[in-house]
Order: sequence, then structure tokens, then C-alpha cells
Amino acid sequence: MSRPEQGSLRDLAPAYALGALGPEEMRDFEAFMAGSPETQREVAEFRDVAALLALGEPEAGTVTDLRNRVLARVGEEKSRRFPGSRSGSPGSRIPPAVWGALAASLIAVIGLGAALLSLRGNLARLNRDLAARQERLQAREATLNAILEPGVELYQLTSSGDPDPGIQLFWDRKRSSAIINGFRLKPVPDGKAYQLWFIKDGKPVPSVTFRPEATGHARVEQVPVPTDGKVSAAAITVEPAGGSPQPTSPILLVGPLQKAGAG
Amino acid sequence: MPRPAPASAPVADHDLVSRAARGDEQAIGSLYDRYGGVLYAVAYRVVGQRADAEDVVIEAFAQAWRDATRFEATRGSVAGWLTMIARSRALDVVRARSRRDRITASAAADQPQRSPGMGDWRADPSDSYDHAERRQQVQAALQTLSPPQRQAIELAFFEGLSQSEIAERLKEPLGTIKTRVRLGMQKLRDSLRPFFFERGP
Repeated sequence: MSRPEQGSLRDLAPAYALGALGPEEMRDFEAFMAGSPETQREVAEFRDVAALLALGEPEAGTVTDLRNRVLARVGEEKSRRFPGSRSGSPGSRIPPAVWGALAASLIAVIGLGAALLSLRGNLARLNRDLAARQERLQAREATLNAILEPGVELYQLTSSGDPDPGIQLFWDRKRSSAIINGFRLKPVPDGKAYQLWFIKDGKPVPSVTFRPEATGHARVEQVPVPTDGKVSAAAITVEPAGGSPQPTSPILLVGPLQKAGAG
Repeated sequence: MPRPAPASAPVADHDLVSRAARGDEQAIGSLYDRYGGVLYAVAYRVVGQRADAEDVVIEAFAQAWRDATRFEATRGSVAGWLTMIARSRALDVVRARSRRDRITASAAADQPQRSPGMGDWRADPSDSYDHAERRQQVQAALQTLSPPQRQAIELAFFEGLSQSEIAERLKEPLGTIKTRVRLGMQKLRDSLRPFFFERGP
């Protein structure tokens, strides 16, 4: 394969500044740029363009103590870079009593430093935990909003022999979409999963597969509901994890998808 | 009027980097006051979550502190250098997250585009490094790009994709993507040259 021409190499300056070259192209370009001050100037300009791209985004905001955290982090780096910057020389004529006091102070400082690091670690953990909780809360809120949409209908899938497990099916007919919420579901063996079926025109239509959590809960959102035909019921069977085109095991849970009194 | 660099700036950006290289951490504080908002915007756009974006900004300034001795003013502006550090650290976070869990529903739950109005950047009101005018100009310049040009540039910068990866993602010929990136960036450069960040000597 032939090497790119110089003109075409120079054309790569914008992509280089964006970090969008593959490894081979980058090597070729950097070799070319090393001998071309004009290209170096161009790359510097395109880097400035890249730096400005962030300002094209909506303002993101930040927290007020970020500056302090940046400086605390740089302080840690500084103590690594200049470890001896505050220590006295070994040959200095400081009396032993002062050395003793200094040593005691040092121990106290180290103790405080360790406590500070530990607090910082705890704070970081708490922040991460809070962010995760906020995300879960947002997801739940979105689910709740979907369930509370006007026109969403609730149906129950139950087992005739076992009163414990159950599935609630929230059907949004307008969007032809459903949310299923399972509870007290028994674990399924490895390689198996629960599969949802819609009974349309009297025949089972395969839908999503899912596995319950250790608590017996399972939630699947945005389940498409067939639209071309009469969907009269939904059912659950246990199938291979990838799902089956036809049920291969007995129905565990079933429920009608018609309002009482409706034809 | 365009403002290439704030006239009232007491210390040039590259001097702050030199001071950081000599061990003055307050110089990093000054750089933060000038460009913390820009770095946070890059980080937030790439990682999509506030806590991660804050960590990225902290680590980016820590790296700037470590690498200050290697900064070459002739290779571009301090703002460009800091921005590229923040972008790299942010992409590291996304790649690590992706390695940990390729399917995270939570990653989509906090997309910046869908979370406007998250509070204002708390800059000192007297700070001369107010980027409002630049922001306006950048947004106007981006509007002049064709949507495919803007898409290609944003995929490269904010998602860290190479031109080949963009071509693959968009199912377009590689040559088409290269042209979009080149022409789009040239257009932005021509529009934004008066608004570039402060340059070294």
C-alpha cells in the first residue's frame, strides 16, 4: 500500500486535533508534522477549535466546592512531588527536646492526615452511592409516570395452583406497549428464563424473556404488544434463556387482557 | 467586539502553567477559575453524570499539575491543552464504565441534553474570564455546519471515535466522513479564530 501524499497528510490536521486518527495514520501524520512548522501551526489552531467545542453545549453547572477539591487533589500531588520540601536537614543543630516535640507533632499530623484521607474516601463513597440512588430514583419515577399515564390498564397474571407468585401487566394501548412487574417469582434454573406470551386470535405470540432477582422481583419495560389482531390474554412459561417461538412447557401464570364486561 | 484574551488578566495563562511547574499550586487555582467551567462542560458532555464529571475535572487538573513542566506554549493554547486532558480522562471513565458493564440503563438516565438548568457555574462575578460571548459565538458557528458535519465532529471529539469508527457507526464511506470532518473544522476555524483562547508567547 502506498503512503499518503503530503497534501493529503496535511488534510488530516483537523482530524488529528480532534483525536480522530487511527494509530497508523497518526504515526504518518506526526512524522510529516515534525518537518512542517506550517502544519504545526494549523494543528494548534484546530486544537483551539476543539477546545471551543465544549462551549457549544448547554451550560452544565457544577458544585461550589469543586475548586477546593481540585486544590486538595493538587496538594496531594505536591506532597508527592516535593516530599522533602518542609523537612529539616539531618545535620542541623536542633536540640533533642525540639526533635521530640517535632516528632510528636509529626505523628499527630500523620494521624490527622490519615483521618482526612479516610474522610475523603468516605465522602467519595457517599457521593457515588448518592448518584447511584438518584439514578435508581429517576428510573422508578419514569416507570411510575408510565404507569400513571391516562388510559393505562392494569391486568393480573396469576397461577391457579399457587397463590404466591404474580405478575402485574400495565398495558398502554395508545402506545401498544406494556410494563410487566413480577413478584414472589421462583428462581429459574441456569440457562432458563421466564417467557411472556400474548394470546392473539387464540394463538400464543412470543414476547420478552426475563429472570427474576434474588428477591423474586422482575420488571420489564417497553414490552411491545401485538396490534394486528385481538389480544385476549397473556401467559408465562419457563423456556430456554434465549426464548422459544412456541411454548415448550406448561403455563405457570395466565390472565385475561380484557376488562370485565367487555366483549 | 471579539475578545481574544481578557485585557485585565494580570497573569498570562502560560505564566500560570510555568508557576505550577515550579510548585505553586495557587496557579492551578487561577487556571481553574478561568477554565474550570470549560473543562466541566467537556467532561459532563462525555460522561453524562455530574459526580463522574467532577472527578474528571479534579483528575484533569491533577494531571495538568504533574505535566506542567512538559507544556509547550508553541503547540497551542493552555485552554486547548487543558481541554484535551479533560477529554482524555473523561473518555477513560466512559471506557472503564463500558468495560465494567456494557449494558447500563443508568447511563442513559442522566444525559446532559435532557438535563438542562442544573444550576449556574459559580464563577466570581468580577472574573474577567466570562465565556458567555464565546459561548454565543461557538453556538452560532456550530449552527452554520451541516448536520452531518456537526455529527461527525461531535462523534470524534465527545465520543472519542476515529474517522474509520465513525464511518462504520454511520454506515457511510470513510472518504465522506474525512471530508465532513475536514470541511466542518475548517469552517469552524474560520468563524472562531477571533475567539480562540489566549495563546502563549
